[in-house]
Amino acid sequence: MPSLKDKKIETALKTGLTRSDFLKTMGVGLAAMGGACDWRWPHAKAVPEIDRPEGVTPGVARWQASTCGGCSASCGALVKIRDGRPIKMEGLKKHPLSQGGLCARGQATLLDLYDSGRLRDPLVNGKKVTWADWDRAVSAKLKTLRGKQVRLVTQTLPNPSLNAAIAEFLSAYPSVKHVIYDPISSSSILDAHQKTHGKRVLPHYQFANAKAIVGFDADFLGTWISPVEFAADWAKGRVPTSGSPKMSRHIHFEPRVSLTGSNADLRVPIKPSEEYSTISSVAIRLAKILGVPVPHVGEVSTSASSESLDQAAQILAQHKKESLVVSGSSDLAVQILVNWMNSVLGNYGNTLDIQKPSQVRAGNDAAMEEFVKEMTSGKIAGVIFVEANPVYDHPLGEKLAKALSKIEWTVSLSNRLDETSSHVSFVAADSHPLESWGDAEPVPGTVTIIQPAIRPLFNSRPAMETLLSLAGKTQSAYDFVRSYWKTHLFPKQKSSHNFDHFWDSSLESGFAVYQAPSLPHAAFSSASLLGLKNSRPQAKNGEFEFVSYAPVNLYDGHQAFNPWLEELPDPVTRVSWENYVQFSPADAKRLGITEGRMVRVNDGKNSFEIPAQIQLGMPEGVVAAALGYGRITADDIAANYPITKIKFFPIEIAKLYTANVYPFLNSSSVSVAAGSEMHPLAKIQRYDFQKDPYLQESRHVVREETLEEYAKNAAGGQSSSDSSSGDGLWSKHDYPGHKWAMSVDLNRCSGCAACVIACQAENNIPTVGKSEVRKSRDMYWLRIDRYYSGSETEAPANPTVAFQPMTCQQCDNAPCETVCPVAATTHSSEGINMQTYNRCVGTRYCENNCPYKVRRFNWFDYERDNAVQDLVLNPDVTVRQRGVMEKCNFCYQRIRDVEITSQIENRKIHDGEVQTACVQSCPTQALSFGDINDSNSQVAAKAVSSRAYRALEELGVKPSIYYQTKVRNVKS
Amino acid sequence: MKVLGKIFQVAGLLLVVLACSLSQAQAAQKKSASNSAALQSPQISQPTPDAINSPIGFRVKTPDEETGISWIGMGIAFFLMVGGLLFWANDVQSFAGILFVLGLFAGFLASGQRHYYHYFANNQGYAPQQPISYPHVLHAGKLKIACLYCHYNAEKSDVASIPSVNVCMNCHSLVRSATGDSGPNPEISKLVKAWESRDSAAPSPVVWERVNKLPSFVRFSHRIHVANGIACQECHGPIQTMTRVRQAAPLNMGWCINCHRLTKKEAPAHWKHAGGPLDCIVCHH
Repeated sequence: MPSLKDKKIETALKTGLTRSDFLKTMGVGLAAMGGACDWRWPHAKAVPEIDRPEGVTPGVARWQASTCGGCSASCGALVKIRDGRPIKMEGLKKHPLSQGGLCARGQATLLDLYDSGRLRDPLVNGKKVTWADWDRAVSAKLKTLRGKQVRLVTQTLPNPSLNAAIAEFLSAYPSVKHVIYDPISSSSILDAHQKTHGKRVLPHYQFANAKAIVGFDADFLGTWISPVEFAADWAKGRVPTSGSPKMSRHIHFEPRVSLTGSNADLRVPIKPSEEYSTISSVAIRLAKILGVPVPHVGEVSTSASSESLDQAAQILAQHKKESLVVSGSSDLAVQILVNWMNSVLGNYGNTLDIQKPSQVRAGNDAAMEEFVKEMTSGKIAGVIFVEANPVYDHPLGEKLAKALSKIEWTVSLSNRLDETSSHVSFVAADSHPLESWGDAEPVPGTVTIIQPAIRPLFNSRPAMETLLSLAGKTQSAYDFVRSYWKTHLFPKQKSSHNFDHFWDSSLESGFAVYQAPSLPHAAFSSASLLGLKNSRPQAKNGEFEFVSYAPVNLYDGHQAFNPWLEELPDPVTRVSWENYVQFSPADAKRLGITEGRMVRVNDGKNSFEIPAQIQLGMPEGVVAAALGYGRITADDIAANYPITKIKFFPIEIAKLYTANVYPFLNSSSVSVAAGSEMHPLAKIQRYDFQKDPYLQESRHVVREETLEEYAKNAAGGQSSSDSSSGDGLWSKHDYPGHKWAMSVDLNRCSGCAACVIACQAENNIPTVGKSEVRKSRDMYWLRIDRYYSGSETEAPANPTVAFQPMTCQQCDNAPCETVCPVAATTHSSEGINMQTYNRCVGTRYCENNCPYKVRRFNWFDYERDNAVQDLVLNPDVTVRQRGVMEKCNFCYQRIRDVEITSQIENRKIHDGEVQTACVQSCPTQALSFGDINDSNSQVAAKAVSSRAYRALEELGVKPSIYYQTKVRNVKS
Repeated sequence: MKVLGKIFQVAGLLLVVLACSLSQAQAAQKKSASNSAALQSPQISQPTPDAINSPIGFRVKTPDEETGISWIGMGIAFFLMVGGLLFWANDVQSFAGILFVLGLFAGFLASGQRHYYHYFANNQGYAPQQPISYPHVLHAGKLKIACLYCHYNAEKSDVASIPSVNVCMNCHSLVRSATGDSGPNPEISKLVKAWESRDSAAPSPVVWERVNKLPSFVRFSHRIHVANGIACQECHGPIQTMTRVRQAAPLNMGWCINCHRLTKKEAPAHWKHAGGPLDCIVCHH
C-alpha cells in the first residue's frame, strides 16, 4: 500500500505536472473564464418617447373611466393603464347601476384584448386586403343588391351611437332589415309584457327594494340580464344588524343548481316541465290569500312541496309592493303568470320598472327563426352580421351555415375568424371595446361612455366606423360619438350649459345621467290570462328532461378563447376547462354512472358526448349541460395559451371534452346513454363537506345560524367555545404601525368569483391548463370554496350551500413561517406573512404545513412567450419562476403605493384608501380591508361584531381574516 | 504521460490567452458597432410577428428571454471535461475529479443561467457606450442643471426614467454646438435627427444602454427616496463628474439594507427620516 506522499510523487512523475502547477493553471484558467464570460447582468435598453405626451408619467398608472364590453349589461368600468397598456379592469364606484363591482367575465375582457388569435386584417374571401379595398369590394357588391332582401343581424345593442350608425346604414340601403337576437334570450319576458302591458319591454328589476324574492330558474346573481347590478342590490337586503335583525327572504325554484339557487334561503328543485305548474300553484295560493280572482291556469301538479309553495305565496303576500317574482323561463305562459303576480302585488313601479325599461335585451326569437327560414328558402340576397355569431350560438346555427354558402353578399364584423365569419366572404376585423369609442345606455337616463385605452393592436376597425363607411359617411368613431352626444344627449341633460364641459365631465366620470321621460303603458290586461297552459312536455318514458344554461364563467361562449375564464371553475360544481352533463345522485345510481363517465346525450336530431358530473340538488329525471363550450380544441390551446410549451418538461396537453349545447337550447327531452370511457374532470375543489368522511369530525370553517338565532343571541358567531385564548408557544408579534386585516361577510358573498379573476389579473397569476388543474396544481391565490350541508356518508338530496372566499389568512402564528428552512416566508411588522420569491428554494414544507391550502407552488416556468398576451402583466408584481412558492400577500404593491403616497404627503392613511384587488371588484361589497390597529376603521368594527369569527380559530394560528357568520332567513 | 501533462498545461494557458483576446475583441467590436450604427436601426428586441404588429414600441421582459449561452465559457468547460477524461483514462483520479467538478460548474455558468448572475457578481462599474455620448460632467457639473429638471419623474414615479427627447429639445432647439465650434456638434445632431423623426412613419427614438438595473424580483421606488431628501449622488455616485455614466454602487441587497438600518443618529442630517423599512416584502413582492 503506497503512502499518500508516494502517490503524489507518482502522479507528478507520471504527468510531469505537480499539484501546485495544476492549481496555478486552474486558477488562471478560471479567472480568465470569468473575464471571458463577461459576467454582467443582461444588457438592457431604455427607450424614452421622442415627444412624451402631457400627463403621461412612466411607471405611474393612469385610470380611465369606460364601460365594460363583456355583455350588454354595460357596467361602469375603470381601466388601469400603465405605460400605454391597459392592465386591469375594475368597477366604477359611482356608477348608478353596477355600483362599483365588476364580474369575472367583465374583468376578463382585458385578456380578450391581448388574444393573439384575433383577426389582424380585413379579409375578402379569406385573403388579407387593405381597408380601402375591403370597403370598395363590399359596397360595390352591396350596390348591386338594391331592392333585394338584405338582413343585418346583431345581438341586442344597448349602444345609442352604434344604433345611430346602424340607422345611417339602414337609411342608405332601405332594403336592409335589422334582425336582433340574443344567445341568452329574454324574448319571452318581452313578449309577455307585450301581452300583459301592451309594450314589448324588459322591466328594470330593482332588487334593492325587494324584501321577498321568489325566483323561478332566473340566475340573477350569476348570469341573468345584469348580474352585477342585481347582486349589488340583492346584497343590500341580506345583512341583518344587531339594531335591526331583519333580512330579505329569498325562495328559489329551479331545475338545476345555480349560483342564485345556492344563495337562496330555500331552494326547491323542480323539473322544467313543472315550472308552469309550480308557478301556477304559487299564483293560486297568492290569489286566495289576497282575495283576488284566481287565474285560470288549468290543471296543475308539481313535485314541489306544498309547504314551500305556501311559504312562497305567504312571503309575497306579506310584502306587497316590496316583493319580486322573477323567472328566466322561455315559456310565455310562465312569464304572463309572473307579470300577473307582480301586478297584483303592486310591484310595478316599486321593485320593477317598465316606465324606464331595461334596454339590455331586445332580441326576438321568433324574428330570428323567421330569418333562418328565409335564408334556407333562398329569399335573401345578402346578410351582414355585426358582432354576432349565430352559427355557433343559435339552435339553428347549422342550417344557417349551410344557407350562407348560397348567399351572394355575406359580411361579418367580427374580432376573430369564428364559426360565422369563416362562412362569409367579407370579414371586417373588429376592434375590442378597449380600443374603440362608443357608449351604452342600459337603462334610459344612464348613458355610459366607452373610451379607448390603447390604440388598436392590429389593423382592426370599430364596427361603428365600418358601418358608417359602408353607408358612405366616412367618419371616425370619436367624431360620430361626440356629435351624437351633442345633438341627442346634450339637449336632454340639465347639469351643464356648455357642451365641451358636459363632454369632458362625462369622460371623466365615465357616464352621464339625464331625466328620461317615463314611457306610458297599459294597465295589466286580464285578457292575457286566458287560455294559459303548460307548453313544456314531460320526458317520455326512460328519457330525461333537458336543461341548458349559461355558466358563470363562459356565459354565452363569446369569451371561450379566454384562458382566465376557461380555467375559472364553476362556482357550484367546481369544474374547470370543460362542460359536463349534470345528474342527480339517484339517477346516476340508477344508470350506474359515476363522475367522469362519458355519456352521450341525444335529442333525436343531434347528439353530443361529454363527461358526467353527479350534482347534489339536481332534481331527479333531469340532466343539465352548460352553453358556451364546444368552441376550443386542444390545438387552440397549444396555439394561444401560455401553458403548454415548458422547456425540458413538456406538459401533457389534455384533450378537452366539450360540446356545443346551443342546438339543444329548445330540446325538452333527451335520451342518455352511458359510454364506456372514463374521463376524470378537472376540479379545483375535491372535498364537498365540512365533515371529515373518515374521522367524522366536523370542522366549521363556515359558520351558520338562522335569523332567529342571530336575533336572540347577540354573541352570534362568537358563541362557540373553541376560540383560542392562550398565547401558545410563540411570543406575540409587535405591530407598531399598521396591522392589515380583512373581513369577509359570508351573508353578502354570492360566490360569483369576480374576486378570483381580479386577483389573477392583479398578481400575474398564470393559468396552468386542464392536466395541471387535475393534479391540484392550480395557481389561484384566492379561491371560493363551496360546501354542502351534511357529510359524504349522509349527503342530503337537496343540501344547503355555503360559499367561502379562501385566501392566505395572514396568521399571526403562521405555521408556514416556522417550517421554512431558508426563512423565505417570514412575518412583516404589519402583520403580513411575507413570501420572498428569490429566497425560496422550493422545499414546499410551508405548503404542507398550511391548514388552509392556500400556498401555491410553481411547478414550471409557466410559458410567457406570447408577446401579445404578455402585455397584460402587471409590472408592479414579480413574475415568479419555476420552483418557488407563492401566495396572497394582501396585494402588497397596492399597500406600498398608498404608504409611499401618504408618507410623501405627510399624512395618515385614510380608512378604505388601500383596497386589494378582490375588495375592489366585489359586486356585493362582501369584502373589506383596512388597518385593524386603527380603531375607527371599518375592518376593526367588523372584527368585533357579533357575527365575526376566524376560520379554524381552534388551531391557535390567529388569522387576520375575519369572516362574518352566514345568517339564513329560515325557521330554526 | 509526461507529454500529456505538458500538453494540458500549455493548452490551458493558450486558451487563457485566447479567451482574453476574444473578450477584448468582442468589446472592441461592440464599441465600433455602437458608434457607427447607433441611430440607423434601433432594434428594440427580437421582432416577433406579434411585436411587429404591436403599436407599442416595447415588449415586457421576463427572465426567460434573457437566457443566452457564452460559447467561450462553454469551450473552457469542454476543455476541462476533456482534460478530466484524459486524466481519468490515465488513472489520475484526483485531478480527474477536480476537473470534472470545475467543468460542470463552468458549464452551468456558461449555459446561460443568467438569472443566477446576482449570486456571483454585481454590475458595479458598468459603463456602456451610449448611442449619444451625453456628458453629465457638462450638463450637471459645469452648467449645474438640476438633476430633477431632466429626470423629473424621479419625484413622481417609482422609476426615474431617462428624459424623453422633447425635454432635451427645450434647450437644444437653440443650442446646436459648443461655444466656439464652427459646425453643429455631431452628438447634438443625432438628437435633432431623433426629434425630427417624431411625426414620420418610422420614428427613430434614442435607444440608450441601460446602466442601473435591478433584478426583476426587486421593487424600488425613486419617489419615496427623493422625498426623503436623499441626494441622487448617494446612490448614483458623483454623476456631475462623469463623462460616461457608470453604475457607481453595487446595488445589491446588503448595500441597500445598510442605509435602511441607519438610526436617527447615524443617518445623514439632510435625510428627513432615518431607518427605512426592513420587511422583505417592501422590495420583494
